[in-house]
Amino acid sequence: MSKKKAQGTNLLYQLISEARAYDDVIVMGRGDPDFDTPAHIVAAAKDAMVNHHSDYTPPEGLLALREAIAERVKRVNDIDVDPATEVVVTNGGQEALFLMVLAVLSPGDEMIVPEPNYNTYADSLAFAGGVKVEVQTYAEDDFRADPADVRAAISDKSRALLLVSPNNPAASVIAPRDMKEMLDIAIENDLMILADDIYDLFVYDDFEHLSPASLPGGLERTLTLNALSKAYSMTGWRLGWVVGPADLMARVRELKAAISGGASVISQHAGIAALTGPQDAVEMMAEAYRRRRRLVLDALDAMGMKYGLPQGGQFVFADISFTGMDSGDVAQRILTEQHVLAYPGSAFSKDRKDYLRMTFLQPEAQLIEGMERMKVAMRDIMAER
Amino acid sequence: MAAKTKADILARHQANMALKAPAPPPVSRHARDLSADGMISPLDERIIAAAADALEAGQTHYVDVPGIAPLRAALADYLNAAFGAHCETENIIVTAGVQESRFLSIQMIGAMYDSIGIPAVAHPGVQKALGVRARRVFPLAADAERGYLPAPTAIADAVKRGCRLLYLESPARLSGAAYTDEDLAIISAALREHDALAIWDQGLAPWVDGKYSSLAAFEERPSLAATIGEAWPGMGLASWFIGYIAAPADQTPAMQSQKQIMAICTSTAAQHAALEAANLFEEARGQKLAQLSRLRRDISDAAEALNLEAIAGDALNIMALHAPEEAAARLRGAGFDYADGAPFGAPAVIRLSVNTSTMNALAALR
Ligand SMILES: Cc1ncc(COP(=O)(O)O)c(C=O)c1O
Repeated sequence: MSKKKAQGTNLLYQLISEARAYDDVIVMGRGDPDFDTPAHIVAAAKDAMVNHHSDYTPPEGLLALREAIAERVKRVNDIDVDPATEVVVTNGGQEALFLMVLAVLSPGDEMIVPEPNYNTYADSLAFAGGVKVEVQTYAEDDFRADPADVRAAISDKSRALLLVSPNNPAASVIAPRDMKEMLDIAIENDLMILADDIYDLFVYDDFEHLSPASLPGGLERTLTLNALSKAYSMTGWRLGWVVGPADLMARVRELKAAISGGASVISQHAGIAALTGPQDAVEMMAEAYRRRRRLVLDALDAMGMKYGLPQGGQFVFADISFTGMDSGDVAQRILTEQHVLAYPGSAFSKDRKDYLRMTFLQPEAQLIEGMERMKVAMRDIMAER
Repeated sequence: MAAKTKADILARHQANMALKAPAPPPVSRHARDLSADGMISPLDERIIAAAADALEAGQTHYVDVPGIAPLRAALADYLNAAFGAHCETENIIVTAGVQESRFLSIQMIGAMYDSIGIPAVAHPGVQKALGVRARRVFPLAADAERGYLPAPTAIADAVKRGCRLLYLESPARLSGAAYTDEDLAIISAALREHDALAIWDQGLAPWVDGKYSSLAAFEERPSLAATIGEAWPGMGLASWFIGYIAAPADQTPAMQSQKQIMAICTSTAAQHAALEAANLFEEARGQKLAQLSRLRRDISDAAEALNLEAIAGDALNIMALHAPEEAAARLRGAGFDYADGAPFGAPAVIRLSVNTSTMNALAALR
């Protein structure tokens, strides 16, 4: 029977589905933290089920949550927004992303996208009829997006610049100096910026995260998204947001109303508890990712595998060109033979067929075992060459 | 420096009137708000327990794009039992509420057809969904005598004239009027003959007392209809945003892909709550219907005494009236909100929720 080769996100779902069949599978694929949502957040949701289950929520979200979001983006990102008019609550970062793209890009408009990048941007852009203009980044440079390359990619159709920092899947963080230059480029060329801060709490070593909307002249031309999914282990709650200037946010709100109405009040109350309650669970998880990242990088070093140093995020993008195989085939073999799920680079970008993305969202013992099996798989692949 | 890019973006949005239509809230915002799409309902503690248990057991992670398998199965069972549909789990996509159902079906099924027939009177959410990415619209004239539903012959005619995708509400979201078996015989024959498809919003169907006919009962497997609606309305989940699409197998992949792109999946708390609501629905619905039926009769009498002409409808949870602006202004003056017919496409019509404060609203007009 001939099975059509799946691509992009469909390929990922095919792998996820196969992975489920293995009892001993080690999941280093999906960006879903292994930690369950902290108990005090679940308790707040339960309380909301009793006391607020039928509360009205406007499409932009409950004011109390928008206030908590405004406070959070001020505290963490130094972005100043008015909760009344400059915050829209969304069904996860994913809906935030879709809304930002729809709000800014029209058919024929170009968005400059450092590659590799989170594939949903390309999908959303395709829905909007926009055109992706790629700026390549390389493992040798730890996937740094070079502002000079961005400048060179500008045309009279350029409307927006996408800045995902830390990036998925490359795990690069845009350095403050580069970020300032990116904003200068946007101002000089009258581009909007779409900023994705979803991994802003996961930045390693001495690297530094900077939100373009916090810079002078940044807010008025930037839409910034974030979500509770990664930082609070709340992927199943579907809660995120967009912040930006009031004039554009009025448009984001209209689009949100057209796409899905509002966000679940229960998730919203959980979100209020997450943002305003104790933050020690977040710090504990961030610390765990720091240790796990080290562990995975050490294992890759021991195997002699190359990668761009993950400056942030929850994964490493490793070079498998030495296998001479397509990453889809490598991911398939690792899964089928060793029961380890890692994501093929080809699912993120057609030019990254020789990369694998490995998340470190499993307990350390699992990751050690996963990397051991990875080693065996690679050895087997090389032995056949 | 003048920011031309932003000015262009804002001008484009400014011109997009479809996105600006005011839509009724999903639940009432205050005691005198009679404009809501959903009804005020207590939340059964078994639903709370089911959702809370799931969360405490770690159901806080991403789940499958089209919904958790038991919920999809429960929806298929429900649609088959309640509406005579012939769905399998694979036909079902769980959505984050009925507006997401509208958006996904109109945009993604719409992309496979070159036009879509839209009733001249429909829920404002339809215009909104169309406003996100314009599609060629084939207008279906509303028949005021039928509670603003397009006449079945007009639908058949549109199909004959080349419109192969339709969006239909039954019951109508404004008036509650529903198509009969005879109507559906005409509509389904036209669809079948021309290999056409209808997106069929049956969200208000549970509030029809007596026989309700779904287009899904006129096919042997999902082929003529992609049905949409709220998942078990009236169970206190309106603010949790949970809905469904039940579509032919060849239509689901595009909607699933788009759901992944714009949402990844639906909130797990809402899905587990809905799963429990499925078990409790029939009993709760019976009680609700009895109550609604009494209330609606009283409201109808009160409206008649005020010389307000009620529009015939089958769904008991709403009542549409021909209301002169002066009457509408008095309602507003007394602090009552109603759903204005204008954004639905029917000016000088108002829609009231049927509940215990509706009588007070009419008393304010006396
Ligand atoms: C860069 C980026 N943005 C947005 C998202 C969407 O996340 P969610 O919708 O779960 O909040 C993801 C998820 O992996 C991501 O990696």
